Amino acid sequence: MAGVIKEFRLPDLGEGLTESEIVNWHVAVGDTVELNQIIADVETAKAVVELPSPYAGVIAELHEQPGTVVEVGAPLVSFEVAGPAGAPPTTGGAASAGDTGAPAKREPNLVGYGAAVEKGGRPERRARRFASQLLGGANPAGGSALPGLAGIPGSVPMIAAVPAVPARPAVEAAPVAPALESAGPRPAAPGLPTVSGERPRSTPPVRKLARDLGIRLEEVPGTGPGGLITRDDVLAASSAGAGGSIAPAPATSSPATSSPAGVQDTGRETRAPIKGMRKHTAAAMVASAFTAPHVTEFLTVDVTPTMELIGRVKESKAFAGVRITPLTIVAKALCIALRRNPTLNSRWDEAAGDIVQFNYVNLGIAAATPRGLLVPNIKDAQELSLMDLAGELTGLTERARAGKTGPADLSGGTISITNIGVFGIDAGTPILNPGEAAILAMGAVRRMPWEYEGQVALRSVMTLSLSFDHRLVDGEQGSRFLADIGAILADPGMVLAMV
Amino acid sequence: MSTLTFGRAINAGLRRAMDNDPKVILMGEDIGKLGGVFRITDGLQKDFGAHRVLDTPLAEAGIMGTAVGMAYRGYRPVVEIQFDGFIYPAFDQIVCQVAKIHYRTQGAVKMPITIRVPFGGGIGSPEHHSESPEAYFTHTSGLRVISPSNPQDAYTMIQQAISSDDPVLYFEPKRRYHVKGEVDEGSDPAASSMEKACVVTEGSDVTLVTYGPLVPTARDAAVAAGDDGVSVEVIDLRSLAPIDFETVEASVRKTGRLVITHEAAQSGGLGAEIAASITERCFYHLEHAPVRVTGFDIPYPYSKLEFHHLPDLDRILDGVDRVLGRPNSLSGLER
Amino acid sequence: MALKNIESVPGGPDGPPPGLIQLITADGIRVPDPAYDPLVADVDGAALQGLYEDMVVVRRIDAEATALQRQGELALWPPLLGQEAAQIGSGRALRRDDFVFSSYRENAVAYCRGVDLTDILRVWRGNASSGWDPYAINMATPQVIIGAQTLHATGYAMGILNDGDDAVAVTYFGDGATSQGDVNEAMVFAASFQAPVIFFCQNNHWAISEPVGLQAHVPIANRAPGFGIPSVRVDGNDVLACLAVTRQALARARSGGGPTFIEAVTYRMGPHTTADDPTRYRDANELEDWAAKDPLKRLEAHLDSRGLFDEAFTAAVKAKADAVAAELRAGCLDMPEPAPSDVFKHVYSTPNSWLDRQQDHYERYLSSFADSASSDGSS
Ligand SMILES: Cc1ncc(C[n+]2csc(CCOP(=O)(O)OP(=O)(O)O)c2C)c(N)n1
Ligand SMILES: [Mg+2]
Repeated sequence: MAGVIKEFRLPDLGEGLTESEIVNWHVAVGDTVELNQIIADVETAKAVVELPSPYAGVIAELHEQPGTVVEVGAPLVSFEVAGPAGAPPTTGGAASAGDTGAPAKREPNLVGYGAAVEKGGRPERRARRFASQLLGGANPAGGSALPGLAGIPGSVPMIAAVPAVPARPAVEAAPVAPALESAGPRPAAPGLPTVSGERPRSTPPVRKLARDLGIRLEEVPGTGPGGLITRDDVLAASSAGAGGSIAPAPATSSPATSSPAGVQDTGRETRAPIKGMRKHTAAAMVASAFTAPHVTEFLTVDVTPTMELIGRVKESKAFAGVRITPLTIVAKALCIALRRNPTLNSRWDEAAGDIVQFNYVNLGIAAATPRGLLVPNIKDAQELSLMDLAGELTGLTERARAGKTGPADLSGGTISITNIGVFGIDAGTPILNPGEAAILAMGAVRRMPWEYEGQVALRSVMTLSLSFDHRLVDGEQGSRFLADIGAILADPGMVLAMV
Repeated sequence: MSTLTFGRAINAGLRRAMDNDPKVILMGEDIGKLGGVFRITDGLQKDFGAHRVLDTPLAEAGIMGTAVGMAYRGYRPVVEIQFDGFIYPAFDQIVCQVAKIHYRTQGAVKMPITIRVPFGGGIGSPEHHSESPEAYFTHTSGLRVISPSNPQDAYTMIQQAISSDDPVLYFEPKRRYHVKGEVDEGSDPAASSMEKACVVTEGSDVTLVTYGPLVPTARDAAVAAGDDGVSVEVIDLRSLAPIDFETVEASVRKTGRLVITHEAAQSGGLGAEIAASITERCFYHLEHAPVRVTGFDIPYPYSKLEFHHLPDLDRILDGVDRVLGRPNSLSGLER
Repeated sequence: MALKNIESVPGGPDGPPPGLIQLITADGIRVPDPAYDPLVADVDGAALQGLYEDMVVVRRIDAEATALQRQGELALWPPLLGQEAAQIGSGRALRRDDFVFSSYRENAVAYCRGVDLTDILRVWRGNASSGWDPYAINMATPQVIIGAQTLHATGYAMGILNDGDDAVAVTYFGDGATSQGDVNEAMVFAASFQAPVIFFCQNNHWAISEPVGLQAHVPIANRAPGFGIPSVRVDGNDVLACLAVTRQALARARSGGGPTFIEAVTYRMGPHTTADDPTRYRDANELEDWAAKDPLKRLEAHLDSRGLFDEAFTAAVKAKADAVAAELRAGCLDMPEPAPSDVFKHVYSTPNSWLDRQQDHYERYLSSFADSASSDGSS
């Protein structure tokens, strides 16, 4: 008979039994059996039971002798059952449970029910989507070999919002970004109360701060109760190690973003009373300029790829009707760079004696309005897709121009952008919106001769000017942040390596 | 040393306790001739007589209430609840009587009752046969709650439970009844404590706490994690009330990271208790909030779905990744 | 201390004890009974043939399901072998608007209620938490917690009473269940409120390995009057007698007479479930004795004596049973597998924030695997 070979594996015959003994066979190879004909007696820990045949067909093979103990899921009998005419006998087929599959993999209706069949062999993990990111060479911070845990946490930049993990005490890990390579090892403080083999004692927010600042708690002397490492200890360690590593461009204070607005007077001079919006802006600028020690850095970038990207996006159907400008891309790039450089998104709370680091981005956009300079902000900009961000930007500037900016738009900003390029300007030293740690000025996009692939070519070039509060942000952090934004604009594909 | 299955090890422990103390009697449904539906009491009625191994009428409240009376009379009843899901008719007697009589009588009356409960899932059974009700009892003052995870502990801890003057719930991981292991039948149960947790795999990066049926799963997870460069320390609690927090604390002070896994539902479960207690004790050492990998907040599901509900190696390691900040299934959700 | 096991109680192997209602003897002889004959006066030859066919079919369902379990297609099966008459006789007496609360063994009652055959298997295959919508066939899904359903039936009957309706709630349970507090409390409530509920106890002589003598020192039916409930002992292997006593109880309930307790004396001829081995605890002779009182054999003999058991009839019955078995097997093997997210279904009737979060997390977990697109996540 040309047929299909069907295998019958031992089912679990009682609640959770894992094996049964074959008492005797009622059939022999070559016998023709009917559905449900008794083919064997088997004994479990609970009972002797008769096994009825699950198929009508011919016995092709009896896999075990009477007296043997068979594991649930092991092959017991092979049947040859009628198959498509002319078809050669084949093993398996997905028609019915109990006839296919490798016993190693759990198939509940393959093994019947009951306690899982022990797989045997070394326990193994099922492959995950992101496993390659763990093991592949795409690890920017270290080699591809993983010495223990070292180099794994914190050096995996692929997944957004995975908190970096502090370097471990025992194994020296590849540096955890953003590390302070320049800081060098600090001397272990004498008399630390840390019990050997235990982790340094601190609190979760302080651990986070240390992580963000690249400080190893193992090296920070704790001054709190019982040697607890406090926020001040970490900040002290941070400033002790990080200061002066970068010489910033001299800070000057010329408000580059204000737009003239005033009341006319007559004669050779025009006088206007200092009041209203102007008075407010002035007070804010002075307060900012004289309380926050400003540093401004500049970076000129070949943004041709960004301009090409804008062109492509505009053409795509999905973005039909959406206004995409260099500002949109810069705003997005800033949000992405902030994730890697969160100290730029913080606030110096003098009154409370705290540094507040924001885990969200309320992105201010300096706008010239009929009322004067306003910096309305986009709430939770870090959450927004490019399309949503573009929509928000359009809405925000339209409201500002129409003089409809509301108080909610104006409060709660965490970082700002000012687009001086719209005035044809290349660079400036923007003054911080009070309470924020950084402001980015984007200059005009100019077609300029530029080095491109070893030759001089006409390229689209833009200068970025970043001012930051040096109390909160060290030169290195500010520089890395600016460099990240520049890298994205120079090659938007770099985003893949950052998020 | 002999090699015994988990089930036979309990049987051997019961036999030894009955040999040593004529006041030890067994009570339960189908435990006599049949030897219990899992054969844990196999042969004991034949050897000790129907006056010491009692097949009771089919009524759990009745069994538990009469066990209280037997204890009043100076006996040490060992009650078998046939399946976890059938303990509830006895709940009133356990919570209102068994747990409280010592307190109520100001110590005059002892309740040395052992309540054996096959518990947990993974055996493809219908409703009420796969539950993990331990938290109801750990939440009940006056009870001690333990759960062995291997044949040696099964053998030793059943004897320790029986000799305890307090009532003890002894949760047996039924899906491990057929697991074999070495048992030292000559060992002295008084030489150790049933309330001490045990570090079953040493490690330095993450502390993985579990008990009963998931101990072998956790050990496997530690092996797989090791292959991935992560060193996991596995702790078998053994005692669920009280919990040996000193052992857990020592481990977490070292690793700074805690994962708890159990089959029982998450909310209001033992994992919550462990997470809270260890956070209180080790707050300054924690690198990440403790993570629980548990059954869902659902009635135990029908068997085709039970392996979604039950924590397995992969789910446990996903939790390990979470406390380590490695890419995991919730990456991007956590702030 | 000696708890005596009372192995033999009235209703044992030696013929019907006094007071046991029987209309057809083990040998198939119709015995007159002035009290009960009028209740089955309408049951003619064709109706008897119908009852016989029912019993053959449900026995066949039982055999096929047992085979499916042995073949690894069902997790477990609780056979009803030997109890066909008790279940068919009572089940066929019910009206559509009566409501049944049963244990796990009443698959023949479910058959009478018109259950879809595949639905019977869903729960035992582990593909669903229950097989059918109780309101579709006016029968609750099987109860595993021994005795709990008796209270539910009583409460349902209290509702009927309040509504001024004449439907009846019927609860099925075993001899073992009569030890449970729930069953005794149900009888207290039923009597107090004179609820239209029938307590149908199938005394099949065993509660797993425990003989009925461990549960009751007197005939189980004798307990009910102590609660104020009239009771009757019926030969549970006599389908006609079971029909008669159930009709009597229904009539009483419908006319405001309150509850009735029926003890159907029968025998569990198979194991407790497919996971059980009765040879460990019961005597083979006992089975032999009861085989002589087999409910199908006696009706067969009776029909034969009346010339109602010809080849055409038996062939038709066999064809029907074969078709039902084939339908059952096909329904079992073709049953769709549940989806992973089904694990979160139906826990609450409206969204629940704890569970929604767990489901969201679990779905993310399942999709975190390299092969998750093609996977059901069950490995
Ligand atoms: C509360 C409770 N305790 C124990 C069990 C386990 N159990 C299932 S069936 C059974 C015996 C029931 O005997 P009986 O009431 O006579 O019904 P039968 O099985 O004979 O139909 C037992 C003890 C259960 N399901 N529920
Ligand atoms: Mg019974």
